[in-house]
Amino acid sequence: MTINLNPDQSRILNWRVGSGGVAGVIGPAGCGKTTTGSFLAVKMICEGYAKNVLLVAFTNSAANEFSRELCMVLGSEGSKFLCVRSGYAPGADPRLPIPFSNNIEIVRAKKIVICTTQSLKRLSASIKFDNMIIDEAGIERLEHLLSPFALGINQVGIHLMKENISFETNNIIELASQCGIVATVVGDPKQSRPIGLADYDLSAMEWVLKCAKYDTLFTTHRLPDKLAMLVDEFADYGGLNSAPEIAGRRMDVKYPIDEKFKNVLNPEEVITWVNLNGNEEMGGPSSWYNEIEAKACVRICSELRRVAPSKSISVVTRYTEQRRTILKYLQSLDIDARVLTTTGALGTQADIVIFSLVRNNPERVVGAVGSLQDLNVAISRSKEKLIILGSFEMMLNSLTSSFNLNQRLKQNFAQKLARLVDRKFGMVVEAPNELCN
Amino acid sequence: MNNDIVDVRKTYDYLRKSQTHLVQSSEIATACVCQNLFKLDYPYGAIRSDKDYLVANTVHDIMSLCVSGPILENWHSGLENYEQLGEKIVNESSHIVNIIINDTLDGANRENRFVPDDFKIQVNDIFHGLVLGMTRRLMKKYEKPSRVLTEITITNIKTHHEGRVDAILEYPDGYGLLDWKSYDISNTISGREKWQLIANTLLANFRYKRNEDDWKEHKFSCIVHNGGVYFPKTETMTKEVDRIKSNRQFAHMVLCGQRVHVQRPKFCPVCDKGLEGSKECLFYQRDARLAYEGKLPAQYEKMTKQFFAKRYAILKERAETHLHKHVASELINRHGEEEALRRLEKIGVLCRGYSYDFDVDERVVFSRADDNIPLEPRRIVRVIGAEPGKSLLSCISEQASVMEVKNNKITLGFRSKIAVHRAKKQLFHLPIFFLRDELNLTRSMLRPIHQFHKLASDVLIPPELSL
Repeated sequence: MTINLNPDQSRILNWRVGSGGVAGVIGPAGCGKTTTGSFLAVKMICEGYAKNVLLVAFTNSAANEFSRELCMVLGSEGSKFLCVRSGYAPGADPRLPIPFSNNIEIVRAKKIVICTTQSLKRLSASIKFDNMIIDEAGIERLEHLLSPFALGINQVGIHLMKENISFETNNIIELASQCGIVATVVGDPKQSRPIGLADYDLSAMEWVLKCAKYDTLFTTHRLPDKLAMLVDEFADYGGLNSAPEIAGRRMDVKYPIDEKFKNVLNPEEVITWVNLNGNEEMGGPSSWYNEIEAKACVRICSELRRVAPSKSISVVTRYTEQRRTILKYLQSLDIDARVLTTTGALGTQADIVIFSLVRNNPERVVGAVGSLQDLNVAISRSKEKLIILGSFEMMLNSLTSSFNLNQRLKQNFAQKLARLVDRKFGMVVEAPNELCN
Repeated sequence: MNNDIVDVRKTYDYLRKSQTHLVQSSEIATACVCQNLFKLDYPYGAIRSDKDYLVANTVHDIMSLCVSGPILENWHSGLENYEQLGEKIVNESSHIVNIIINDTLDGANRENRFVPDDFKIQVNDIFHGLVLGMTRRLMKKYEKPSRVLTEITITNIKTHHEGRVDAILEYPDGYGLLDWKSYDISNTISGREKWQLIANTLLANFRYKRNEDDWKEHKFSCIVHNGGVYFPKTETMTKEVDRIKSNRQFAHMVLCGQRVHVQRPKFCPVCDKGLEGSKECLFYQRDARLAYEGKLPAQYEKMTKQFFAKRYAILKERAETHLHKHVASELINRHGEEEALRRLEKIGVLCRGYSYDFDVDERVVFSRADDNIPLEPRRIVRVIGAEPGKSLLSCISEQASVMEVKNNKITLGFRSKIAVHRAKKQLFHLPIFFLRDELNLTRSMLRPIHQFHKLASDVLIPPELSL
């Protein structure tokens, strides 16, 4: 087995292999959270630190990502022999060599079990795991974390350990640690928050960071230098940097860019804010869309497809209605591009990303699009170029603010992003007339 | 134009802040047996069993198709030779039974679930028993119904009540209710089945008369079980309905997080018999007693508060799964059905004008005249067949998830092939509405909280207090 890990990943691997209890690993965009988790599972099994490991993800696509990484580490035969994917059968990727099963005997016989949080109920409570790795814990709540933890409780062990447990324990994470549950909780609270949770509630990841030891991955293998710097300063990571081999990566085009799109698609500029004044419209029970922005997105995608046919393109937006509107236009013109909401974009990447802001109103209310997590996800998906599409004035003068998790202070993140792009890391350009109608 | 949208969004905002809980008939039945037992499920999350109901679910699926097929076709009232008729029905149903058994086995094999060796025998035996029960007791007493509907979900927002009725037999002058049980209820001791049946009857009254207390057209309600058919006594019905209503209110208040005094029955069939679940129940009763006496250790008390805060946050989430139904009901009350539907359609919560194209396995393709489909993959919808004279939330419906939206076509994934068969039989010929819906996955989230609550108790409560 050849292991290619960066120094951050190696440090975390060595720390977690030997240390017990519950601990956290913060992984900003592209830092290899899933890779680290998969390597950790394999190392623990291969070197005899654990008899069996449970890998848990919040979504089926993230669980499949875990499986894919394991196949890369262990090879096809090794992963087939050691691993099993469990839970919801239609959600598992059938192309991967890892077998699927909910059969208790088969699951019990394997060393690494991959499952989603919601499907853990399908695993019998009689199966116990002496180690677990929980991915994307930023989107989970504390109660989600308890589902896998419950499979690590060893009642016999607890009664033997009971005398050693401090009666000072007064939080759930500490209780789990002291009861012998060994779990590495991986995530980034600055990229994701549990859906529907109020500002003042903590996600599972924040609970872990508050009550247990943690470490951070600082080297991104996705974001080129300027984007890494923008994301680092915007989300206040304290030292996120690009891996040397990708730091200078820029968008390369196969054919000359049309004169109208020269400023918008300038390959030398990693981050471009295209100032466009479309009208926001209400859609659905709590969503928004912006027709002019949607059409502009499609026109940019169309030009990108022409000049750089092999590049992957993602359009990211906060609102499902905007996603639907853009998808409708893309489908009608048969343009190949992914359209994702910020929640759906978590864990994805593309060569070129277009971020549609949608909100534009005289009251300068940006709403949910102004949250740290949504903005952070939207600006950190791109490997080569990020295009932000929407009203620059609106964001610069926006009124919405949300919590900065480190300092628990209210901050205006929309304004912060606008300033950072304009003054330090990118360029604000006016939308050409062709994009304005 | 925007005023309509603002009106609906304001209704959403308002209802999001209120309690939108619905109590299921099965939960009311549990509360009728013992209120502590209800609390064991919600809010404690001490789910009492890990059993896989593969056999029971398969029998339910078979009955849901056979009752409106071979059973209805062969219905003979007052027949003496019921055994021969039963055999005939079983023979004529064999193709349905085999298809469903094979589908179930395929699904179970795909997921590598445990299947008992005698699965087919068990399913066939129970089905045989249920058919014989129907021919012997039901057909003897009642005329052939004009129509049979199966697996009907009925929601009564006003009374915070929802339930799924196994089968409704429609007559020109009334209706009867059937509930399948795959076991012999004469061997059970809790009476829970009876409460669930009567609770569902209240919903049926609401479906047909728009008033749960209107019993004019109700003909009968019964449980068809492995050992025969059980009809609850009609003489005591008023008393039992009162008990259902008071327990429904109790359950609703508990779900809403209100402090309610629990009334333990003189005899609890679980605790007093020491059955599965009694340990958990006694655990929470002990916790309550220690808290009342002020004897809980400070750390444990603090942790318990965290557990309950999490539990009630999950319950709030459960309430949110019913939000769309509440909004629809509120708008119908405010503007009348047609105007409410128009507004809901405008905002994309309700979609109309679809017609059934074709189906492949669990997937069904629908199309409509235009391509403005306000739904996207992975959204959950309630597919409603609009029945004349019935309120929207008591019409025939099935839950499905959106798989694909392309141009003017939408592909929905139903729960199973049997659900598609059922929908084709009783729903797709009606005008079809898609109402946004949500899945309730909260039950499984409560369970680990219960496990950690017990863990904290094991660790932090001194042994002398545990007694």
